[in-house]
Amino acid sequence: MGRQVAIVSAGFSEHASKRSDVSMPELVNEAIMDCLKKVPSVDPNKDIDAFVNGNMPAFEGANIPELWMTDWMGARNKPLMRVTTGGTTGGTVAIAGYYNVTAGLPGIDTVLAIAFEQQSQGDTATGLASVAYGEISILNTLGISYETLGRLLSAGAAIGVAAYQATNYMSKARITEEDLARVVVHNRRMAAKNWWAHLRMPNLTIEEVLDTPYVQYPLRYGMLCPASDGACAMLFTTEEKAKDMCDIPVYVNGVASVANETAVLGYDGSGSAQVDPSAQIGAMRSSELAYAQAGISFPRKEIDYAEVYSPFPNQELMWLEKLGLFEETTAPQMYENGTIALDGDLPVNCSGGVNSTNAIGASAMERPAVAAQQIMGTADNQVKKTVHTSIGHGWGGSLNLCTLMVMSDEPQRKWR
Amino acid sequence: MSKRTERKDMGYIKKDYVKTRTMPGSWYLSSYKYKFNISHMQPFLKKLKEKKLIANQCSGCNRVFYPPRLVCGQCLVKPDRWVDIRDTARVATYAIAYLKDAETGEVVERPMVLVHHDGTDTCNIAELHPDVDVKDTYIGMPIKAHWRETTEGGMMDIEYYDPIEDDAKDIK
Repeated sequence: MGRQVAIVSAGFSEHASKRSDVSMPELVNEAIMDCLKKVPSVDPNKDIDAFVNGNMPAFEGANIPELWMTDWMGARNKPLMRVTTGGTTGGTVAIAGYYNVTAGLPGIDTVLAIAFEQQSQGDTATGLASVAYGEISILNTLGISYETLGRLLSAGAAIGVAAYQATNYMSKARITEEDLARVVVHNRRMAAKNWWAHLRMPNLTIEEVLDTPYVQYPLRYGMLCPASDGACAMLFTTEEKAKDMCDIPVYVNGVASVANETAVLGYDGSGSAQVDPSAQIGAMRSSELAYAQAGISFPRKEIDYAEVYSPFPNQELMWLEKLGLFEETTAPQMYENGTIALDGDLPVNCSGGVNSTNAIGASAMERPAVAAQQIMGTADNQVKKTVHTSIGHGWGGSLNLCTLMVMSDEPQRKWR
Repeated sequence: MSKRTERKDMGYIKKDYVKTRTMPGSWYLSSYKYKFNISHMQPFLKKLKEKKLIANQCSGCNRVFYPPRLVCGQCLVKPDRWVDIRDTARVATYAIAYLKDAETGEVVERPMVLVHHDGTDTCNIAELHPDVDVKDTYIGMPIKAHWRETTEGGMMDIEYYDPIEDDAKDIK
C-alpha cells in the first residue's frame, strides 16, 4: 500500500474578475509565495521534489502554460507534469499531487500542486465552445442548425445545463427560489470575511438576490458564479516530513475521481443516459470510494466541515445530499435552521464557495485547500468548532465527473 | 436596456488594479476538423424520413437508446438490436430561456426541454410548441412529436413537441 500523505500548507492568490495588474505566471507565483510563506522551514529550491500543474485548457488561449511559467514556479530541472480535466482540474491536480507522494518514488517526497486560471485573459465562451464543439458539429450534420442549438443550450455556457439540473432538483425537493437565494446569501456573506474571495457582499439579502432578472429559469443573475482570475497552491509531503514542516499536518485519507455517463448532450448527439441530471450517480460513487478509504461509515457524524463545488445554488444543496451528509431533499431545511452556518453543527462552504469565487481551473483545488486550512486552524473564516475531518469536492466534465478528497488530523491506519 | 436584462450592483466590494499591457489575439475554431462515425445513425435517419421512430437496444443491459448510440456506457458493447418506439414522450426536465428576438428586439420566454421518449432510457434536447405557456410546463408533462410536413431524414424532422392530455392518475 502507498505511503501516508499529508498537506502542510495551502496558498491563494487574490481573486478578482480582472487581475489586470499581473500576467498569468505572476498570478501563479502569488499563490505559491502565499503557500510557502506559511511553511518557513521549506526551502523551495531544495525541499520541493516535484511539481503538478493544471488549468482549464483553451480558456486563456494559451496552451502548455506550465512550460513557459517554469521559472515562476521554481520548477527548473525538476519533475513536472500537467493534468487537466475541465471543471475538476483543480481536484485532479490535488489528487495527482497525492498520487506522486503516495507512490513512494525514490527521491520524491514533497510535491507542490498548482492550479490556476486567468479568465479575463481569454474568452470563456470560445473555450467552452471548443469543449462542446465536437458534440455540436455532429448535431449540425444530423440536421439541427447551430442557431437552434445555441438557443437550446442558451449559448453553450454551463448555466444552460445547470438550469436543467436546478429545475429537476427543485421539483424533487419541492423548494422555491427563495431557498436557492438563501444559499447564495450564505456564500456571499461568508466570502466577505475571506481576503482572497471575489464576490464579497457583506450585506446581501434574499430580497436583493430575488430582485435580479432571470438568466435562465430557475437561475437568476444574482445566483450565478462569477468568472474570476486566480490561483491556488498546495504542498503535499510524507507523514514523517510533515511533522517538521508545520504544527498541524493534515492527512489525506481518501481520494476519488469518478465519471458517469455524460449528461444533457451526450456523445455523438446521442442524448443523455442520465434522464435525471440531478441524480449524480458519479458523485455518490466517488463518496463511497473515498469514505471507504478513509474509514468513514457515518459521514454526517464523522465529517466536521464540507467544501462542495457549487457554481449554482441548487448544486450546493444537491451535492450535500449526494455526498451523504444529509438525507435526500433535506438540505434546504439545514440552510433554514442554521446547521450549515459558521457556528453550526456541520459548517459548509465558509470560504464563500465557488458561488463567490470561480477561477475555473483553480476552484476545485480551493475546496480541499480550504478544507485543509480549517483543520489546521489557519483559515480566514475559521469555524467555531474544532475540525477533525473535512472533505473537499470538485465537479466538472460534461456534468459527470466528480473528485473528492477526505482529510483528517489523524493518519489513516485501517487499510495500510 | 429593458428591465429584464438590467444588471444590478448587489453591494459588491470592488478593487481596482493597475493595468498591464495587453495584446489582442484570436483563436479560429472553424479551422479545426472533427471526425465522426454516423454509420450507426443511418437506419434511424432513414426511418425518420418515413415519420417513424426507432431506437437501438443494448443486448447486455437491455437499455434502449434514442437517438441510437455507438456504444453502451454501462456494458461497453455495441447495441445491436433495433426496436420501434412510440412518438409520445414526457418532459424529463426543462429550463426557460430568455432570448432576444432578432427582429423585434423583445425578450421572449421559451421553455427548453429534455424529452424522455416512452420506452427508452435516454433523453434528448428538444423544443416545445411555441404556443405552450411557460407556466404550464412541468416535469413529467406528456408530449407528442409534431412532424414537419416534408421530412428530409434529419433530427429536425420533428419540429417540436405538442402537449397532449394527461391521463395519468397519479398527477393532479
